[in-house]
Amino acid sequence: MAQEYSTMVHTLDDLPDGGETELFIRDLTPGPRKYDSRHVRAKVASSLDKLPGGDILRIRSLVGVMFPETWYIKVVKDIQDYQPGQPYEDMTS
Amino acid sequence: MPFDDIRGFIDALDKSGDLVRVTREVDWDLEAAAVSRRVYETQGPALLFENIKDYPKGYRLFNGSIGTYRRVAIAMGLRPDASIGEIHAAYEEREQKPVKPVVVQKAPCKDNIMLGDDVDLYKLPAPMIHEGDGGRYIGTWDIIVSQDPDTGWSNWGMYRFMIHNQRALVGFPAPFSHLAMMLLNKYVPAGKPMPMAVVMGADPLCHMVATAGYGVGDDEADFAGALRQKPVELVKCETSDLMVPANSEIVIEGEIMPDQTAPEAPFGEYPGYRTEGAKHGALCRVKAITFRNDPILTMISLGVPVDDSSVAAALTAAISIKRRLKRHNIPVTDVYAPPEGVTHLVIVGVKKGGADMVRQIGEIITARRAMVNKVMVVDEDVDVFNMGEVIHAFASKCHPGRGFIIHQLEDGKANMLTPGYDREERRRMRGAAAFIDSTWPVEWPEVEIPIKSSFKTIYPKELQEKVLRDWKKYGLD
Repeated sequence: MAQEYSTMVHTLDDLPDGGETELFIRDLTPGPRKYDSRHVRAKVASSLDKLPGGDILRIRSLVGVMFPETWYIKVVKDIQDYQPGQPYEDMTS
Repeated sequence: MPFDDIRGFIDALDKSGDLVRVTREVDWDLEAAAVSRRVYETQGPALLFENIKDYPKGYRLFNGSIGTYRRVAIAMGLRPDASIGEIHAAYEEREQKPVKPVVVQKAPCKDNIMLGDDVDLYKLPAPMIHEGDGGRYIGTWDIIVSQDPDTGWSNWGMYRFMIHNQRALVGFPAPFSHLAMMLLNKYVPAGKPMPMAVVMGADPLCHMVATAGYGVGDDEADFAGALRQKPVELVKCETSDLMVPANSEIVIEGEIMPDQTAPEAPFGEYPGYRTEGAKHGALCRVKAITFRNDPILTMISLGVPVDDSSVAAALTAAISIKRRLKRHNIPVTDVYAPPEGVTHLVIVGVKKGGADMVRQIGEIITARRAMVNKVMVVDEDVDVFNMGEVIHAFASKCHPGRGFIIHQLEDGKANMLTPGYDREERRRMRGAAAFIDSTWPVEWPEVEIPIKSSFKTIYPKELQEKVLRDWKKYGLD
């Protein structure tokens, strides 16, 4: 059974359809660990045809609005659970 | 009498009819928050959820501790029906006499200790508060404790933190908050992790002072003691020198990393809207969790006012602003931040108004950081706590052309959570503030100032006294 994850983007164009990218995802498996975060390198696609056997990827905007399109994801590997940089770097630069 | 812990306060709310214990199973994933939000919006009681899905019996969630002025009054040991003005006056009077905390060696918050690899944030019933939030916000109605590495000053603030993974939190203390200034000016340049503790379920007055705007070097624990009229008991953390309230329900100890970040938010914040979060939030590596047996995790289902945040922050902001204005010799009569104004709007009463005075007041309030960006000034005949009188003064005395002074806020000064700012303004923390003059111009001769047509102002004093004396004789109660 396919796993379900979520991620956040500014626009859907931020995701390489059929390509590979780094992103933070949250595991939507029900239970006490739901919403656990992972930082991964993954293949993502807008349809199962482009990514057979992919897990479900729910996508939200940066204010948390769910895009109606379902995408798909295959995690290639987990990477470090952080991104290098200073806190607030995007706001104070 | 002050409450020694949140449990005593909960019992008091139970006795006064200001609490409902929810015994049926409730899901931590949105349900507890949804129930809490609806209760806020119907001016309902505080809620103790006693049966949380996925979590052991005895683990509880508590929402809405001081979500009404009535519950603030109970927390302060005042009459539950004390007026807002009375609560302000009691707060102001008490905070004049800070009470130093005392250090204890044994503490209820050490009943259970998770250290190192045993740390697991998912052992606590952190709620998912709003559908679409960035994650589970375990720190909402919290106290974040940090310390200046040079001076040893201990700072308490109320900042949001969500679970990143089993052993990490990510949060967003605003970049101009005291915590962030210490982090960015001292720990980050030195490349050192910053010790931090997240405290949940302390005495409600400890949480209230964590929302207050005390100055650098002012120790919030002293002011919590002042409000309680009794010292706060503190105990040392397991993994750092930070001191935390001993009777807290849960303490999460960790370090904010100077060179690691993670995406944070979005989160439905106190202005009542959810705006974009930070791409580079403050990442905290958790080193220990200590908690009482059968812990109570305090939470706030933040949103449109009125809720705990809008009440507590309104109270502490208004008193802090009044203190600051007095320091600048402003002839202030009182200050009110109506909870519905989500600390974006404050009403300032003055003995003498006029445009110059209004501008000066506005500039003082927005000098360092402009969490407030609408400042209305009214004359002393207006009761600032009575929004009917305030609206009347605004509608009738504020000149539509000259009454609005627009003040630009440069980068880093504006409130990035103000929903009305555009995306770039929020990101840059720039914007504008409006100072609203609802006072009479000082240059108007006294004989030309319109006379307020109220019972107290337009009838001879002798007649007023006669009317009051004979009130029942008119057949009136």
